[in-house]
Parts: sequence; C-alpha cells; structure tokens
Amino acid sequence: MPESHAPKGIDPRGPRFAASITAVLLLIATFLALVGPSTARAATLGWFTYQPLDDSSFAFVADSWLLPQLSVAQRASDPAFVVTLVIALLFLWSVLSPRTAPWGALYRRAVAPRLAPPTDLEDPRPPRFAQGVGLAVTSIGLVLHLLGLPWALPIATAMAFAAAFLNAVFSLCLGCQLYLLLQRAGLVGRPAAV
Amino acid sequence: MNLFAGALVLAALLAVTVGVGLALRWQQNRPRRLNPTEVVDPQRLGAESLGENATLLQFSTEMCGRCPGVHRTLGSIAGDRDGVMHLDVDLTHRPDIAKHFHVLQTPTTLILDRDGVVQTRFGGTPSRSAVELELARVTAEAGGA
Repeated sequence: MPESHAPKGIDPRGPRFAASITAVLLLIATFLALVGPSTARAATLGWFTYQPLDDSSFAFVADSWLLPQLSVAQRASDPAFVVTLVIALLFLWSVLSPRTAPWGALYRRAVAPRLAPPTDLEDPRPPRFAQGVGLAVTSIGLVLHLLGLPWALPIATAMAFAAAFLNAVFSLCLGCQLYLLLQRAGLVGRPAAV
Repeated sequence: MNLFAGALVLAALLAVTVGVGLALRWQQNRPRRLNPTEVVDPQRLGAESLGENATLLQFSTEMCGRCPGVHRTLGSIAGDRDGVMHLDVDLTHRPDIAKHFHVLQTPTTLILDRDGVVQTRFGGTPSRSAVELELARVTAEAGGA
C-alpha cells in the first residue's frame, strides 16, 4: 500500500458479503414500495368526488396519486418505508462504527472462520464511503416519501439496490467513480498543495 | 401496482442491473489505444524516472476499493519483467493531475512506452491477462521500430 498513514486493513470479502445482504434487503424494500401506496393511484376517490359539471376537477382527482392524500403517519407506516428506514439506519451504523456494524460482525464471526485467510487486506475507507453514499440515497427517498412524492421510495431503493448488487456480484465500485467526480467538482477532498 | 406488475418491474430491475454489470466488466478489459501524442513527465507525478521499456501508470484515490487489488496485479506484472516500472499516483489531493489526464474513474491505468508516450488506457479493473497482452504489444512495437 503506497500510503503509510492508511488505517489497518480489512478482509475485502467482508464488505462484499455485507453488500449481498444489503442488496437482498433493498430488493425486498423496492418490491414493497412498488406494490404499496407510493405508486398507487387514488382512482376510487375520483368516483366519490365526481361531478358531471366539473370535468377538470374529476380528471385531476381521478388521475392523481394516492400518496399525497395520506397523512404523514400513514406514509410512515407503509411497510416499504419501515424496511427502508431500517436499511438506512444500518448504513448509518456502518458509517459511524464500521467495526461493530452487524453484517461485518456476522462475517467475521460466522463466515470468515470457514474460509481461507484473506490473501490481501483492503483499505477500510472506500467501503465506508460507499455506505455513506447508500445512506444519502435511501435518506433522500425516505424524506421525499414522507413529503408525499409518489415513486420517490422505489426509485431510491432501486438505485441503492443496483449499486449494492454490482458491488456484491461484479465487485464493481460505483463509489470509486463517484468519488473522483465529486472531488473534481470540488465537493470532497482537498485541493493540491502546490 | 398489483403483485404481478411489481414482480415484473423487479425482474426488469434485476435484468438491467446484470446487463450494466456485464457491460462494465467487458469495458474494463478493453484496452483503448490512444494517439501517441502525450509524453508523460515523471517529475510532475512525483517520480524520478520512468521504466526503461515501459511504465504502468496507475491512478488511484483513497476512497477507491478496487485500487489496492489493481496495485498488486500491476506491481507483480512489473516485478516479473525487466525495465517495466509500476507507478501508482494518488489523485485524492491532486485534482490537477486528474483533470490533466481526464481521469473520471479510479483505478485508471495508462501504459507508457519506453519514451514515456501514453499508448493505452484501461478504465476500471482490467484482468491480469488483458494488461499483459497489451504490455507485450507496446514493448514489441517499441522494440521493432
């Protein structure tokens, strides 16, 4: 490793194991969001408010989404919202304390002892950054869902699922690519000390 | 959305993700041959000199999970050959170098010939055999010329 200040290395298979579990959870959350109120139409309300003389109001109501008509408590009790909230909290845990995060601990306790020891160790900072990206994406979905924006939740969980799946199955790291783009935009990292 | 439609969307999501993964993996092992116009100045990258026959120039960042693996592969390829040097440049605090070489993802690997001319570019994590094949081509061309 070129940097001497790099922290202690971790088994690179740990983050991929965690990413597989996260991907499955995100797939479940996406399915629940797709069949839940986030994508539902408020068609039945249209019949009740139907007035023959007011075509435009009928068209608007009959064509509108269900989610904005629910209360915030109803939006928050959507099973998809609850599952995504749990996933977001797990992301937060991994960002704040990667050593104690449940999937990493499960890997070290139950999986790693059954495998050959790692041939190489990995820098723990990139997976931690990736967890932060996952936290940001799912949090945006949760907030927009609470604000009553239809489709926000399944789109956010689907994006996070794609990233976790590519990491788990193809060992591709979208965060690596994103990091350099953010850095070149001046949002992260320090500029050159020339 | 009913259960069946939900399952259909989910299947489409899976298919698209697998497709993206396969496309990205294919692209990573595809060398891009460049017009030999740019000569790399090793001093600018913080190195004394370049390899005698060829240089594997790798760009990394601190937040790049795949960079250490590529670092080991390239280091071992360079170690097996005389006159081939592996140079790993951390771009975390050097956006100027990232901009200069138009690096949009890490790891990015450039293969330089004996004169320091950029010959080939790999974006992502190329396989060992893909790099070896391209390196053999670059060194053979320079030797024959």
